Amino acid sequence: MNDNPRRVFSFRFFASVVDSMKRAWKTFGGFWIAEEVPRWFGLSLVLIYLAGIGAVAHFEMLQAQREANASSERSFRYAVGALAEQLLARKAANPAEAAPAEEDQFLLERFASRVPTKILRLVDANGRIVASIASEEVGKPSSNDLVEGPFTNAAGDIGAPSGALEKPARLIRIPLGSTSGKGESTTGGPISPAGAGHDPASDLWLVACAVLPKAPTLLSSAGALTVVLLVLGALFAVHRRLRGQLRGISRVADRLRLNRDRLATDLGSLRVTDTFDHMTEAWNQLIDSAQGWFDTVQRTQANEELSRVLQRSGGGALSDALNAVPDGFLFITNEVRFEYVNSTVARLFGWSHEEARRITLPEAHAEGIGGEVLAIVRGALQADGSFEARTQVLEGGDEQASNRSSYRVWVIPLQRIRHQGECVVLIRDVSQQIQADRAREEFVTQVTHELRTPLTNIRAYTETLSSGMFDDPKVISECYNVITKETRRLSRLIEDILSVSQLEVGSIELTADNVDLRTLLSDGVRDVRGLADEKNIDLQMLAPAKLEPINADRDKLAVVINNLLANAIKYTPNGGNVIVGCQFTADAAVLTFKDNGIGIDAADHARIFEKFQRADDPAVQQETGTGIGLYTAREIVRRHGGDIELISAKGQGSTFLVRLPHRGGRATALSTTQEA
Amino acid sequence: MQKILIVDDEAHIARVLSLWLTRHGYEIREACNGTAALKLLAAERVDLIISDMNMPGLDGLGLAEAVRNRFGWDIPFLVLSARCDQAKLAEKLAAFGVRLFPKPFMPSQLVAEMERMLGATGSRSPQT
Repeated sequence: MNDNPRRVFSFRFFASVVDSMKRAWKTFGGFWIAEEVPRWFGLSLVLIYLAGIGAVAHFEMLQAQREANASSERSFRYAVGALAEQLLARKAANPAEAAPAEEDQFLLERFASRVPTKILRLVDANGRIVASIASEEVGKPSSNDLVEGPFTNAAGDIGAPSGALEKPARLIRIPLGSTSGKGESTTGGPISPAGAGHDPASDLWLVACAVLPKAPTLLSSAGALTVVLLVLGALFAVHRRLRGQLRGISRVADRLRLNRDRLATDLGSLRVTDTFDHMTEAWNQLIDSAQGWFDTVQRTQANEELSRVLQRSGGGALSDALNAVPDGFLFITNEVRFEYVNSTVARLFGWSHEEARRITLPEAHAEGIGGEVLAIVRGALQADGSFEARTQVLEGGDEQASNRSSYRVWVIPLQRIRHQGECVVLIRDVSQQIQADRAREEFVTQVTHELRTPLTNIRAYTETLSSGMFDDPKVISECYNVITKETRRLSRLIEDILSVSQLEVGSIELTADNVDLRTLLSDGVRDVRGLADEKNIDLQMLAPAKLEPINADRDKLAVVINNLLANAIKYTPNGGNVIVGCQFTADAAVLTFKDNGIGIDAADHARIFEKFQRADDPAVQQETGTGIGLYTAREIVRRHGGDIELISAKGQGSTFLVRLPHRGGRATALSTTQEA
Repeated sequence: MQKILIVDDEAHIARVLSLWLTRHGYEIREACNGTAALKLLAAERVDLIISDMNMPGLDGLGLAEAVRNRFGWDIPFLVLSARCDQAKLAEKLAAFGVRLFPKPFMPSQLVAEMERMLGATGSRSPQT
């Protein structure tokens, strides 16, 4: 059958069109739903889609119609063939019958009543109609019955049934009296009106024209499409009506997606309030029920789970982790129960883990700092059983002890739904921080005092000079001396403070000079000579007559020498002695500052070099000082690549050794850093 | 001649005060710390005390307390201080009827304040 490949092709074509349409719909469907795409764009996409579908449908309908027509034509041809055989059989039975018209007429009409037929007639060799289902045609000539094929009514010489001929029709001619006239072989081409070799007596033709269904026109397809469009329009209207409600659901879906992590704690956020139908109501009821179940489950399970994790003080990983934390960690549940205490808390409170689990907050007593922490926790417990957040600093130990510990305590309520009486208590040792704060405060106080003292002298003596009340030359010269000396003291102090801040921010810069240590030392000694003389201190310098120059920052080294000398004099009682020396080793220049003063306790050796720190000795505290001199000195020496060493014991004087790297007078730490 | 006691461990301040007060016709007594001042007060009566705050041993506040306990409340008392917590200190000193005079100061202002205090106690005005 030659129809099949074509049909397969058309199916493939149809399938591929549908496929591409589906893909397009998938791609653009998102836009159609998305709010930001204009409505007309989506609509035109739908129209284009529908037009495509319509075209394919129309094509397919045409194809189907064509096949149906072919098949009904075959059946018709077969039926007509059977009729022809019947007519022949009748003629063969009565060969002599002269006027068969009535019989034939009857057979033709019976056939037409069974098979829808437009034309059915018997035509003789001369083209005259001898019998027909339309009885008025009998006896008339029929010229265009001679050609088989698509039937036309151009000649109009026969009366055709009215209004039937715009439909496709096919004409069939079968010669009676010849078996070769059977339908299947006569499709197509013209047959000569008077076939040679036919008996003229039986030279009759059966002419039939089948009624074939009308092929679908574009107009009818468009009609069908219109119907489809109307249906779709109706669906769209319904969709729009539903959309409000669908939006509510899609919003819920969005929230579900976005709040996936928070669902456990915030089911309430999934409630819908912007639509009003039954579905919304049902949804909200569902949320309420879920919330209820969730809370129940949480209430019953959470405590057990947390306890299981936290209570395994012997083996749990979380417990090990919390035990490793230097801060104290305390977890309180049900307002009174110590659900968990870490090792630090146990140590601070003097508890064992078992003890902690057994006792409750009202019964708890603790040693040391623990008692005060418990007082804070009890204080943070509200009347409704919840805890309020608190932060408090506890200063433990003896007020006077210098090594007393301070703790900062945080009471942190746990924000869990329906778990009010829970809190975490964190205890952190902040002793060092507090000590540092105190030292800084002390420094500010000290610096203020130190700055105001020379300033007071300067102001007082300036006014003495300018008042004109004192004209004794001795007084005037005394005033000038004091002002000069105090101005120098003030500027040195300011330099010290500046270098501390520079050292602090790391912005101090060293300048490379060729420094003659002997000159630098003798300048330093000269500067403090006055101080030493006031206390009747024997100040000596022991250094070789000639020293190799070293590469260092002269001004900064002068500060180091001045600070160490001033210190030595300050902490050496009247009549003592201070010796300054200088010598070279293989790789360093060593400056020595030795006194027989009050000495420094070994416990204070590290501390006195720290910023703002002074030795914890009443004899030191009695002297004014800011605690920055030694810090500055050591920092400067360290920037040079050297260090300061202290040899001292309480009451036995002190020796400070300043080592500055020096190799053959060239390769020093400073020159290397400068090249870098 | 009215006697003024100057208590200060800082020689320069004691010297300048002594210069000015002598010039204004006062007789000066000097002590280098609180303990020495108490010893001196036990021996003779003075009309006004000017003391430094920060001194080794007995400081200005301690001296004020001791003076009020031992010698009563009628000696006018001034304390000089360079400390930064002036307000707190002034409050403490006021408890002993002692005035705080902050450093740095102008000697002329101090003399004026001193004379005002001496005048208020009903003593005679200073010589000119």
